[in-house]
Amino acid sequence: MDLNLTQEDIAFREEVRQFVANALPQDIKDKVFKHQRLDNNDYIRWHRALDDHGWGAPSWPVEFGGTGWNALQKLIFEIESFKGGAPRLLPFGLSMIGPVLMKYASPEMQQRFLPRMLRIEDWWCQGYSEPGSGSDLASLKTRAEKTPEGYVVNGQKTWTTLGQYADWMFCLVRTDPDAKPQRGISMLLIDMRQPGVTVRPIKTLDGGHDVNEVWLEDVKVPYENLVGNENEGWTYAKYLLGHERTGIAGIGLCYRELQILKNLAAEVQWNGKPANQDVRMKDQISLIEADILSLEMMLLRVAADSTQGPGPQASVLKIRGSEIQQDLARLQLEVMGLNSWPYSPSWLEAGEDVFGPGHPFAAAASANYFDMRKTTIYGGTTEVQKSIIAKQILDV
Amino acid sequence: MDFAYSQEQQMLAESLGRVVKEDWSFEKRRQRQQNNELDSNSWNTLAELGVLGLSVPTEYDGFGESAASLLAIHQELGRGLVSEPVVPSAVICAKILANSNNEALKQQYLSDIASGQAIFSLAYQEGQRNDNLADLNTQVVRQDGQLVLSGQKQAVWYAGAAHAFVVSALFNNELALLVVPADVEGIVINDYPTMDGSRCGNVDFDGVRLDETALLANGEAALQLLNQGLDDGIVALCAHAAGAMDYLLQITVDYLKTRQQFGKPLAQFQVLQHRLADMYIQKEVALSMAYVAAAGAGEPDQDKKRRMLSSAKIKVAMAGRFIGESAVQLHGGMGMTHELEVGDYFKRLIFIDYLLGDTKYHLKQLEALE
Repeated sequence: MDLNLTQEDIAFREEVRQFVANALPQDIKDKVFKHQRLDNNDYIRWHRALDDHGWGAPSWPVEFGGTGWNALQKLIFEIESFKGGAPRLLPFGLSMIGPVLMKYASPEMQQRFLPRMLRIEDWWCQGYSEPGSGSDLASLKTRAEKTPEGYVVNGQKTWTTLGQYADWMFCLVRTDPDAKPQRGISMLLIDMRQPGVTVRPIKTLDGGHDVNEVWLEDVKVPYENLVGNENEGWTYAKYLLGHERTGIAGIGLCYRELQILKNLAAEVQWNGKPANQDVRMKDQISLIEADILSLEMMLLRVAADSTQGPGPQASVLKIRGSEIQQDLARLQLEVMGLNSWPYSPSWLEAGEDVFGPGHPFAAAASANYFDMRKTTIYGGTTEVQKSIIAKQILDV
Repeated sequence: MDFAYSQEQQMLAESLGRVVKEDWSFEKRRQRQQNNELDSNSWNTLAELGVLGLSVPTEYDGFGESAASLLAIHQELGRGLVSEPVVPSAVICAKILANSNNEALKQQYLSDIASGQAIFSLAYQEGQRNDNLADLNTQVVRQDGQLVLSGQKQAVWYAGAAHAFVVSALFNNELALLVVPADVEGIVINDYPTMDGSRCGNVDFDGVRLDETALLANGEAALQLLNQGLDDGIVALCAHAAGAMDYLLQITVDYLKTRQQFGKPLAQFQVLQHRLADMYIQKEVALSMAYVAAAGAGEPDQDKKRRMLSSAKIKVAMAGRFIGESAVQLHGGMGMTHELEVGDYFKRLIFIDYLLGDTKYHLKQLEALE
């Protein structure tokens, strides 16, 4: 066991730092640090900058065009790119459907879709949740009926993140209505740019528009767009969610938000001194940093143990990561004090001057705090994750 | 001690409850939020019901009620998130004026506050956090027989709707309170929406010239008045929060009974039942602390009074955060949307922590006690 970074690891960290500092467009970096809203082109520009450098798929094996990095390198990349102000990598292709296709799809399907994910030539979105099927995902009702020409899909999906930009959706549908809920589900790849697909925005607590409702009305899907085998979609869905949960820990984001918190605490004055000199605030910052250290080591330990599939530890990571993200947002709000009172959603749109009497971060602090409440709900609520942990440790 | 509402309190709370339910419904509240200006009909409704005259002494056409009445009334207002400037005008500034010795200003304004014709707000906070209310940059000086006020106040609750402000400033290096009409020369108000969908403003005073009579109090008397006003504000705010928590808990109960997952209502899942029970516990803590605040307002021992009011504000804020966050969590994805009123209650409960001294401010007040 050697628990410290090697010379090569340190050199790699420096390489990532340098790359982000040079390749990340300044306007994107500014938006990220001010918590302003990113648009689709901001994400695409960053992905393409990475791909130009051969880093388009940091988490993929070399055979699919990835970097082939080990777990530690992936972690270093995530932390350093977030700290440098880079947007998150869009998870829909790279960490959600991509790995599923690598494991379960035909070589033709892999060849057709995987290479295009590195430069976001296709924008992917997730078709999992439905209005009546959230935590109880297996109760989903969207159905695909077979016709000579292919499937015809009808139903409604919801919480489709960034679906407003999507070209393709990986979608769970019911292909056998008579089977047990988990048995009759298949995974289809649906072209979003066709008649019958309607995307409507859902406005969230922060006034933003990240999530959508998607209506599918007589949407035609050729048989070649079936992932793997019919009625085995639940297996693929669970495989994907296991990946989502480790990625969802958001270690890079935690480090970046910690940095923002520290910057604010050094700058905002409390009783004539920087807020980080206030012992009540200082303790809270120290404690959250301790939480982040534990999260980082937990990620490394889980990643090092490649013998296990997504087990209880994946759920632990999801729970801890989401709680830390929420705490960071709360502390940023607290440290801003009076400056965090003003808020209008429009102030976070690109091109707007951020309004804030006294501070340019003002409008973002409350919006971000409200928005971060989603982290203990999406990707399997904390309650669902705890049930997963309990079932596995109790073996029931 | 007597926990029963008086007949008048009972009647007012009941009629207020009915009006709030009707006129501060989700749809109507949201509609009014779209406008940047105070809705005069809603304001008049509050005046007609007697809400605005509650703290105004009877000789100035008010009801001269004690803090206990604030408790009864502001719970009802909180249930409907009544976000008009009741607390800054009819509670805080009414109290400051009523307790002052400036008879001219009392004559001039108090009955108008009770009738709703005058809206006041308190301009006491400046740009950077300062837990010492008397450590100010805003200054007032005497010049040619007049007072000249200069400084910048921040986060003035409902500044845009106010006709006049009670302003804190340094006068001969001592704290002073002044009454400043909003329309005199040299005042610039920058009004903005707040995180909870209500409004605040920053108010700049640039060499504002005032008559000597504008001086409400200075020195120790000014600090006492300021704290008396803020403390009554805390009583009202704690009651408001307790009412909001009660309502939010109710809509969460309704949701858990309705929403089905895994073939049964969410209400049947023990993990959710326990969170609901925790919310109920915190609601009871908050309501009890609202009573502590109201009792504290009448407490003669100043240290004890401070402990009661600051403790109440802290615990109510903590309970509000827990209940607000839990309500969103129990509503799942739906709790994150702008479509439900859950978010409105959550945001108000969060904002309440920041109003009238946040948790750290009040911990500091407690730290100073024996």
